[in-house]
Amino acid sequence: MGNLLVLTAREWKAFWYSPVAYVVGGCFLIMHGWVFWLLMAVLNDPRVDPSWRMSQFFFGGTLFYWLSMLVMAPVLTMRTFSEEKRTGTMELLLSAPVTDVQVVLAKFLGAWLCYSALWASTILYFALLRRYTPLDWGPILTGYLGTFLLGAVLIAIGCLASSLTRNQVIAAVVGFVAMLLLFSVGFLAVFVTDPETVKLVKYLALLEHFQDFSKGILDTRPLVFYVSLGALALFLTVRTISHPRWRA
Amino acid sequence: MSAAIEVSNLTKRYGAVTALNRISFQVERGEIMGFLGPNGAGKTTTLRILTGLIEPTEGLVRVEGMDVTNHPVEVRRRIGYLPENVSLYPELRVEEYLSYRAAIKGVPRSQRRPRLEEVVQRCALGDVRRRIIGRLSKGYRQRVGLADCLIGQPSILILDEPTVGLDPHQIRQTRELIKDVGRQTTVLLSTHILPEVEMICDRVAIIDHGAIVAVDSPENLRRAMTGTQVVHVELRGDSQAIEQAVAQVRSIPGVQAEIRIPLEEVFIRLTTKDTE
Repeated sequence: MGNLLVLTAREWKAFWYSPVAYVVGGCFLIMHGWVFWLLMAVLNDPRVDPSWRMSQFFFGGTLFYWLSMLVMAPVLTMRTFSEEKRTGTMELLLSAPVTDVQVVLAKFLGAWLCYSALWASTILYFALLRRYTPLDWGPILTGYLGTFLLGAVLIAIGCLASSLTRNQVIAAVVGFVAMLLLFSVGFLAVFVTDPETVKLVKYLALLEHFQDFSKGILDTRPLVFYVSLGALALFLTVRTISHPRWRA
Repeated sequence: MSAAIEVSNLTKRYGAVTALNRISFQVERGEIMGFLGPNGAGKTTTLRILTGLIEPTEGLVRVEGMDVTNHPVEVRRRIGYLPENVSLYPELRVEEYLSYRAAIKGVPRSQRRPRLEEVVQRCALGDVRRRIIGRLSKGYRQRVGLADCLIGQPSILILDEPTVGLDPHQIRQTRELIKDVGRQTTVLLSTHILPEVEMICDRVAIIDHGAIVAVDSPENLRRAMTGTQVVHVELRGDSQAIEQAVAQVRSIPGVQAEIRIPLEEVFIRLTTKDTE
C-alpha cells in the first residue's frame, strides 16, 4: 500500500513536470470552455425546449466530448510504460522491491488522477452558471461520475497499449484505435436484427450509457461494465509487464 | 547461515540461443566477488536473473536462502542493483530522485533524510544535489546510480560494469567506494577488466560463452597463470590469425608449459574479444 502511494505520487508528479500536461490541459480547457459557452448560447435561445439541461449536453451530448475523450486518454497514457522502456528506467523500477501489480496500478492511478483533475476543473463552469440560475446538481454529479468511470476504462486501455511498445506514438495510435472501436461498437445496433444480439450491442454502447448518466440516472449495468472492462485491461497490462518479452 | 548468493545449474535460453549453460557458483556473505568475462559471455544475463528482472529457464537461484522466482520482492529488498547503462528520470533533481528511491525501497520516513545525507556524502554528490539529473555528466549519473543502490541499505550489491565509461579519476573513486562499501556488504560486480578484479575482489568467477571457467581468488588465478615471468600481450586483429600465432608460441619449448594452462587461453581470448 505504501509502495502504491509512492509510485502513484511519482506518476502524478511526472505528469506535471512534463510539458504534455500543460499542452493537454490548456487545449482541454479551451475546448470545454468553448463548448460550454456554445451550449449556453443555444440553451438560452427562446425557441429551445426549456426542459433541456446543460448537463445532458455537456456530458456525452456533443461530438466535442467524445473527441476530447478519445484523444485525451491515449495522450495521457502513451508515456506510462513506453517511455520507461525506451529510456531504460523500467529496469530500475522493476529491480526495486515493488510488485508488477503495484507498478501497473500506480501508472493507471497516476494518469487517471491527472485526467480527473482536468475534468474537475470544469466544475467552475457550473459554479459560474449557478450564480445566474438555480441548478439541479444531481445530473451534474452523475455526469461527472460517468466521465470519471469512462475515463478509467479508456485510461486502462491506454496503459495496456503503452505496455506493449517502447514507442509512444505507436502506443497512442493503438490506444486511440482500440478506444474508437469500443466507442463505435454501439453503431452495430442499426445493422443487427437478432433481438438478443441487439441487447448485447446496446450493453456495450458507450453513447447510450452516457445518455443515462447525463440525465441523472444511475444504472448499475454500465457501472459493472465499466469496472469490469477497466479491470480486464489492467489485468492484461500486468500480464504483459510480467511477460519476459515485454518486460523491459 | 546460507550463502549470500547461491546459483546452481542456472540455464537461460533465448529461443535457440543458450545464453547461460548450467552455471553454478556461490557468493559468501561479506565478500566482494568479481564476475569476469568478455562482452556477451552472459554476465549481464546472470545479474539480471539475480535481481529478478528476467526469469531463468532452468536452475536454482537463491539470495540469502530465498528463491528468486518465489520471493521476488523480498529478494529485491535485499539487493542494490546498478544496471549496465544507468538511466534515471532526467526531469528530477538528484535529491528528489534519491528520496523517491528511498521511499520505494521501504526506508521509513524518519530515516530518509539521514540516509540521503549519508549516500550523498559517500558518493560525493554534494555539489550536484540540487541539479537536474538530465544535465549531469555520465560520471555523476553513475554515482547517482550507486547512491541509489546504497540508499536502501541492501545487504547485497550487484553492480554491472560499474566503471565503464568513466574517466580514470572517477574509476579510481568508484573502486575506492566499492571497496569501502564491501567491508560491510556483499558485492557481486561484473567487469571485463582484469586489473579491476585484482584490485577490488576477494574472489573471481570467470565466465565465457555462458559457462563458468574458473572460480578462485585473484592471487591464485594469477599464480596459476604465471611461471617465472609474465608477459601480458594485447592482441588486436583477426581471431584466427591470433589463434595461429598462439599455436606458434605454443610450439616454443618452455613457453609451452605456460600456454598449456587453459586459463591462459581464456585471457588471450578475452583480449581478442574486447578489441572487436
